Amino acid sequence: MSIPGLHLTQIGSGDFLLEPSRSLNICDRDKLIERIAARLLQARASRLYYDLSEQAIIDPVYYAWLNALAGTAIAINVRMVCIHMQPTAAFALAQFIHEIPAFETALDISGWQRTTQ
Amino acid sequence: MAQEKSSSASTKLTELLKLQVGSISETIEKEGRTIFGGSNNLLGTDEITDFCIEFLQLLVALLESRDPHNDGSPQFHALEMFFNSLSKQILVRGGRVEDLVRYIQFMQRTLIEALAHDKKNITVDDTRDALLFLSSTFNELILAVFQAYLDEKERTINAQEAELRETATPITEIWDGVLTLPIIGTLDSNRTMLVMEALLNRIAKEHASAVVMDLTGVKNIDSQVSHHLIQMVRAVQLMGSDAIITGIRPEIARALTSLNIDLSGVTTRASLSDGLKEAFRRMGIQVSHKAI
Repeated sequence: MSIPGLHLTQIGSGDFLLEPSRSLNICDRDKLIERIAARLLQARASRLYYDLSEQAIIDPVYYAWLNALAGTAIAINVRMVCIHMQPTAAFALAQFIHEIPAFETALDISGWQRTTQ
Repeated sequence: MAQEKSSSASTKLTELLKLQVGSISETIEKEGRTIFGGSNNLLGTDEITDFCIEFLQLLVALLESRDPHNDGSPQFHALEMFFNSLSKQILVRGGRVEDLVRYIQFMQRTLIEALAHDKKNITVDDTRDALLFLSSTFNELILAVFQAYLDEKERTINAQEAELRETATPITEIWDGVLTLPIIGTLDSNRTMLVMEALLNRIAKEHASAVVMDLTGVKNIDSQVSHHLIQMVRAVQLMGSDAIITGIRPEIARALTSLNIDLSGVTTRASLSDGLKEAFRRMGIQVSHKAI
């Protein structure tokens, strides 16, 4: 089942990697979130790694998309971890967020696994 | 009519210059050696000779141009650039702008004095026009020197500021994946941005798992600074690293509380060593005394 604008790959038992492509259209976020959640539920996923390496800037709209996706993931007992956040994106995001995001963050997959062990 | 007059004056001045080029060159060279050469050691003898010759060549080229009074002409620009680079050369070697300006005034005086050697062939009008030409030209050249001086000063100040920024916030990788950032002095918006940018880039470069920010050197804190601090911690956490704040003085702790700063998501430790221990603990590193 392919979802337009992103690659969702199973990388281990219960672990999924989400790689957004340039064609990702977050205007239609509700439909996208439903399809991602369906895929995660189907595979009994427990973790979703969201790769932000191609995202140089995170603006309020993109942040809202990440938060909504993380919120849905939590609802189906999946932890969403954003990885590879760029310094420019972290810099911009830190300027406008006032609450703790719904998603977790890690340098990369191995870094997150190390800290949770 | 005025154009014709000034053209006649510049022709006379050119002739005079060509006739007396040897003595003029000798006089300005001698003064140049006194000001820039010898024990002052700003320019070598050959350099002084060269720049005197070049100056006279450029001045003759300007006088022979279509309109010597036009300060937008290529000849005038060449003369300006000559003084601009000469002043930069002298200033970089530790010379003073005052000496250079006095030397340019000496050059002007030498040229005016040269006019007196040919009293018979120069009319009062020619003399007046030549004086006007020399004073306006040399004024522009002095301005070029001051511009070069200001550029050089600005460049030095910028370099010093950059160096100060670099040394004021040394980000050190104290262990594999552990960065320390001692913050000393006041954190204003500008400095926070620079520190944050440097820190985030360093986290990405070193793949740092933990950052220990030591505030022992921060004497006081206000609402804006504490806000910046929280922003910095948040950005580090968003990158996926652990942020640990250490060395918060009692007065800073009290100030943070009264400013209603929420430190619930921030790990704090009393001292830098405690902060490092916490970072090591999180990374599963154990540092112990060697058994004897």
